[in-house]
Amino acid sequence: MAKVELQDVRKSFGTHEVIKGIDLEIPDGAFCVFVGPSGCGKSTLLRMIAGLEHTTAGTIMIGGKDVTIVQPAKRGVAMVFQSYALYPNMTVAENITFGLRMTNQSKATTEKKLSDAALILKLDRLLDRKPAQLSGGQRQRVAIGRAIVREPGVFLFDEPLSNLDAALRVEMRTEISRLHAELDSTMIYVTHDQIEAMTMADVIVVLNAGRIEQVGSPLELYHNPNSLFVAQFMGSPKMNTFAVELSDYGHRKTKVDLPNGGFIVVDGSERLSGPAVLGVRPEHITIDTKGELKGEVVLSERLGPETMLHVDVGETEPVIVKEDGLNKLSRGDQCALKIEADACHLFASEGQTIRSGSLLD
Amino acid sequence: MFPTPIENSSSLIRIGYKVILPIALFLWLLPLLGIAFTSIRPAADLDAGNYFGWPSNFAGVENYTSVFTRSNIGYYILNSFKVTIPTVIGTLILSTLAGYALAIYNFRSNLIIFFLFVAGNFVPFQILAIPVRDLSIDMGLYDTSIGLIMFHIAFQTGFCTLFMRNFIKALPVVLIESARVEGVNDWKIFYYIVLPLVRPAIAALAVLVFTFIWNDFFWATIMSQSVSVRPITAGISELKGQWKAAWELIAAASIIAALPPVAMFFMMQKHFIAGLTLGATKG
Repeated sequence: MAKVELQDVRKSFGTHEVIKGIDLEIPDGAFCVFVGPSGCGKSTLLRMIAGLEHTTAGTIMIGGKDVTIVQPAKRGVAMVFQSYALYPNMTVAENITFGLRMTNQSKATTEKKLSDAALILKLDRLLDRKPAQLSGGQRQRVAIGRAIVREPGVFLFDEPLSNLDAALRVEMRTEISRLHAELDSTMIYVTHDQIEAMTMADVIVVLNAGRIEQVGSPLELYHNPNSLFVAQFMGSPKMNTFAVELSDYGHRKTKVDLPNGGFIVVDGSERLSGPAVLGVRPEHITIDTKGELKGEVVLSERLGPETMLHVDVGETEPVIVKEDGLNKLSRGDQCALKIEADACHLFASEGQTIRSGSLLD
Repeated sequence: MFPTPIENSSSLIRIGYKVILPIALFLWLLPLLGIAFTSIRPAADLDAGNYFGWPSNFAGVENYTSVFTRSNIGYYILNSFKVTIPTVIGTLILSTLAGYALAIYNFRSNLIIFFLFVAGNFVPFQILAIPVRDLSIDMGLYDTSIGLIMFHIAFQTGFCTLFMRNFIKALPVVLIESARVEGVNDWKIFYYIVLPLVRPAIAALAVLVFTFIWNDFFWATIMSQSVSVRPITAGISELKGQWKAAWELIAAASIIAALPPVAMFFMMQKHFIAGLTLGATKG
């Protein structure tokens, strides 16, 4: 258990700066997820915390100690890699205990830790197998086992589930969450999958081009994004956006002109006029004959419990509407869309939020 | 399927294949067959000009025994082992360590050193013959096994380092990073993780270097003179005799000399298994 603090952390490869000044405090015992598109620096940041990448500037503190130039092994961290990194020439048991054996731990403690870890991860029947004889999920569990026996203050996960198939990913997701509850350690988890971030995290850190875009709880980021980037990154299918024109409607209300002639009125916008981007999530648009937007269904994705309707309203991209699974509309049907005004986000053309459509209390 | 199985090809190609293959095989093996037949021919056949015909009688036993009785070939075989085995071991140790360092560590002159190893391979041995001989005489290493071993190691390490460096570079680097995070020191990472994974490369190099050093004639003739140092390749010439070359004996000795590299290949064969890193990462 340990708190992790980053103070103005920077990293350059040659003249190319990839981490551009990160300030972050991850509380003791938190499950923190770094999320962002590929190339945003999330893995690099994790590797810097692990000590596998040199930190160009700034300070990294783990458990109150400055570890910026400390060797990886002495930082009290354990890392689980995307590609598992199992030693192919060793059995599961040898893999899990390798670090302990190499650092001269007593045989009794090694055995004890091995059996504890095997029990937690349900690996007890597989201890004599070689990695090549394991399935993807089992390999990942061995990799996690290797981290557990080190009893680290901080667990670091580098996209650990992205090599697994979809069903196994869901299973391992719950397993890692359970592990977090059981071990009560700080965990830092890197992923590009916003569903993993939403489901597992206490704290999500959204990174973009080497900078922190926003830090917050999953629901806070979902409902109260402070930029268009975060709004579009969190949520699947992603938020619908329209280029709109704002005008003053009086009484501190703003009139939002929609692309094809209709308009809606919202309150609480920081700007009352000028160009802006309207963002609204698929679940906040409904099919309604009195709707402001007219369009034609171009695709309906039937997921079972719900159906995603892609409706062409004359913009470059179709609007995605989340409807009931029993909805009968299909390709070619005409419909009108009603936008829930309270749930509308408005963003300035530079990207920052000027009205939050948060429905949280 | 690629290549298309021969059974599925047109009949012309099938017949051509069946005719040409044995001919090509025979031509390719002809020198070897020639040596093998000569080694069992009685000397009289060669005197009578029967070089390529059927041997008049089987003289294999006499020929092979007289190779040992009429020359120092026993010594020469021993000398060859005395030079070859330490060279193989020395080269493999040096090149595996150097390859590991060049593949894993990012130090400033890494690439320059690596290119030096590569560039060394482009220097023709023949150019070096006289300087190396002079140097070995100055160092008191001329006509000693240790001298041959040292120069062989020096010449072989370049290529082997290139080979090992590239092989280790192809291993998943996360294995080493993972061990580092676990607090395993570099010597242990080398010994417990890298070494088991480069076993196929070591086996391949062992066979290659063994064969190369065993068959070396150039340095053997330049660097050695006495019976107690001369390797078998240089020693065979002793059978040439003063007035008449005993070709049947030279052939028999050549066959004997060729056996150890073949044995070495079969010994190392089981280590050439592919797919040792299977299961380390997403396969």
